[in-house]
Amino acid sequence: MLRDITLGQYYNADSVIHKLDPRTKIVGTFVFIISLFIFRSFLATAVAAIFLISMIKLSKVPFSYMVRGMKSIVFILLITVIFNMFLTPGIPVFKIWNFSITDEGLKIAIFTAIRLVFLIIGSSLMTLTTTPNNLTDGLESLMSPLKIFRVPVHEVAMMMSIALRFIPILMEETDKIMKAQEARGADFESGNILERAKALIPILVPLFVSAFRRANDLAMAMEARCYRGGEGRTKMKPLSYNRRDHVAYGVFALYIVLIIAAGILGGRYLPI
Amino acid sequence: MGIIEAKDLVYEYIKRDEEGNVEGVVRALSGVNLAIKKGEFIAVLGGNGSGKSTFAKHINAILYPGEGTVYVDGKDTRKPENLWDIRQEAGMIFQNPDNQIIGNVVEEDVGFGPENMGIPTKEIWERVIESLKAVGMYEYRKHSPNRLSGGQKQRVAIAGVMAMHPKCIIMDEPTAMLDPMGRKEVIRQARALNDVERITIILITHYMEEVIYADRVFVMDKGQIAMQGTPAEIFSDVERLRELRLDVPQPAMLAHELNKTGFNLPYGILTREDFIHELVKYTGGRFYGGALENVEEKKSAFRHTTPGVIKRDPRESLILDHVSYVYEKGTSEEIRALDDISVQIGKGEFIGLIGHTGSGKSTFVQHLNGLVAPSEGHVYYKGEDISEKKYDRKKLRSKVGLVFQYPEHQLFEETVFKDVCFGPKNIGKTQKEAELAAFEALRAVRLPEEYYYSSPFELSGGQKRRVAIAGVLAMKPEILVLDEPTAGLDPKGRDEILDLVKDLHDKQNITIVLVSHSMEDVANYVDRILVMDKGSIIMDGDPKHIYMRSDELESMGLSAPQVTYLMRSLRERGFDLDPGITTIDDAVKEIRRLVPSGGKTGV
Repeated sequence: MLRDITLGQYYNADSVIHKLDPRTKIVGTFVFIISLFIFRSFLATAVAAIFLISMIKLSKVPFSYMVRGMKSIVFILLITVIFNMFLTPGIPVFKIWNFSITDEGLKIAIFTAIRLVFLIIGSSLMTLTTTPNNLTDGLESLMSPLKIFRVPVHEVAMMMSIALRFIPILMEETDKIMKAQEARGADFESGNILERAKALIPILVPLFVSAFRRANDLAMAMEARCYRGGEGRTKMKPLSYNRRDHVAYGVFALYIVLIIAAGILGGRYLPI
Repeated sequence: MGIIEAKDLVYEYIKRDEEGNVEGVVRALSGVNLAIKKGEFIAVLGGNGSGKSTFAKHINAILYPGEGTVYVDGKDTRKPENLWDIRQEAGMIFQNPDNQIIGNVVEEDVGFGPENMGIPTKEIWERVIESLKAVGMYEYRKHSPNRLSGGQKQRVAIAGVMAMHPKCIIMDEPTAMLDPMGRKEVIRQARALNDVERITIILITHYMEEVIYADRVFVMDKGQIAMQGTPAEIFSDVERLRELRLDVPQPAMLAHELNKTGFNLPYGILTREDFIHELVKYTGGRFYGGALENVEEKKSAFRHTTPGVIKRDPRESLILDHVSYVYEKGTSEEIRALDDISVQIGKGEFIGLIGHTGSGKSTFVQHLNGLVAPSEGHVYYKGEDISEKKYDRKKLRSKVGLVFQYPEHQLFEETVFKDVCFGPKNIGKTQKEAELAAFEALRAVRLPEEYYYSSPFELSGGQKRRVAIAGVLAMKPEILVLDEPTAGLDPKGRDEILDLVKDLHDKQNITIVLVSHSMEDVANYVDRILVMDKGSIIMDGDPKHIYMRSDELESMGLSAPQVTYLMRSLRERGFDLDPGITTIDDAVKEIRRLVPSGGKTGV
């Protein structure tokens, strides 16, 4: 089940999108997401769709790979659609027992679903084409103005990158501990909720102990290699914008212009 | 002045209770004095808890001396202004390969040190490339560290230190968590850095064979330097080393044992070649009659034999019948972890399971108690198919006990006693029965009674491991499977655990399956060996016959015990000795058979 989540995973390919500076991609994704929520006309949605599809094409990430990532949100999507369909007041077009589906509800449901799908695909496009490290570097750089307000930007980025490194290790460890306790007759599958929660103790305690031990070891290893926070630190892979990124920002600007135009021309198609 | 100097170094760990009051003081180092010259290859030996890791951390200024001083390249480690210079000059490699790699990509991890030092980007890259090439990991620069083997991870860690251009590297048990191949990789690397780059190496280890190439050896005990000298000097005092929880390489041990029976071999034998040279000299070449018939021929006679002598009652056995196990079936990542395995484990056997990392040992072992169900084939215990739906697998788990690698990592209860009760209670024993079983189990693992009600987290490594084994024993298993039960223990701790396992077999008649990387341990204890490679059991036989096929073992990344090679080399030199010897005791008897009275005057 965990394997199905493509959100947050990196797909290795050699494409223009992959080569973009992470900051460009983060900014681009934000622009895209905001545009989805401001402009609600049919025309604007079409512009967003064209933009998204061309980005996917450029990224060389197989479309099927992205769809696989959608599986995990199908449930949320379904709920949203159903709620919107039934709970929006308006002209009823279809009636089941006491609930009626309204014309407006139908429209809202469809567009909300589309927006949600776009949102997920758009942001997973960013994570699929950017290595976790690049992503943290990008975030660190974009958030660095916050340092003025004493936000520990470097530390947060370092924590994120360490977390990413240790997720697979701790997952493996969890599996090992579970098996070891099962070998001692532990049962995680039967019993009521309370019993099951209690059955987790023999997993969680060793897992926490191990995580602390690892954290301690890692801190020592980092200090031994002269780590002393972000100050005076140089970068092995400094971020730098090049021509590609300038073009990308141009494309974003064009997209903004187009979608504003589409938003005005298309009018407020939907209520709310 | 040497590169590292310690003067009257004292360090105490202070244990505090929750309010910060001092509860107890553990003196980890009490007056260490030593000096290490530039370019030396130093080995530091010592049992668990002898203070060697604490000492290592002083060289890198992770810990500061409580009393006395440590100088690294003439700089006092206690002065804050020296801190970063010292950490750059004295690099450190730790035991756990996973816990010292920071980067998500190999090259980024190697660049971590130089980044911290504020080196310009262009130079960082030069250093990273140069260091990765020096440890032979350049092709892996874009890989994720999670995909590497233990040995490769340690080499990446070494590259990470190298990129900081250190003058010396301290390695704190870098091989303790590795398999034999990984250990060789790391030691070869350490020696190369010493030879080629003239970097001072301080290697802390439990493995005696890693020490023989060192220029000097320090043996630590109770926070002090107990012995120092060349490897030859150190290893000639076998009795003293044993007192210090250590042992000696097999050739040295053999010479020592022979000398006890009246031989007079000189001290300082470390390697196989040393031993052969000295024995030939000692016997005056009288047994030299040209190379005896090649061992190959003798070996071929056993090539396809599986000892059928042992009668195993199938009604009492654990039987795997054409078992295969496939990970990720039907995907592109399909891996056949087990491939058509058929084997019978009879009541009362003592079996050793060997195979390099990734040969399928762990998967195999998990089939034995039903933790993993076979993709194909069947597992039978006492004639019943354990994968049948109605079969009580919980009961099976109490009958087939499985002790995982580093089992102490599963301890979780407040007291040792409660933790050991966990298993019996799970299989439906009453509180009273569980407590009785726990008592028996704790007694069987010989844990001193004063620890029964302490927290398992306060015990030493060896004690924790006993508690974990007791946790499985308390379920009264008929078969006990132990995955690398001696990993990370010092030689004395290793022998204690193995003796304990042997007692369980001999006295309580428990069937034992021992998974091990140490060919010597396997040779010393088991009656039957299973050799796994690529998910299959390739060989199955008694130790003598298995180790005869050392060429095949080597092609699988395994080996025979050192003493077996030694006997075979002697044979090639004309000594008419049994080439199938696998233990020191047998070797002593066999050499004495040929050279009866031991002395030169004898024949």
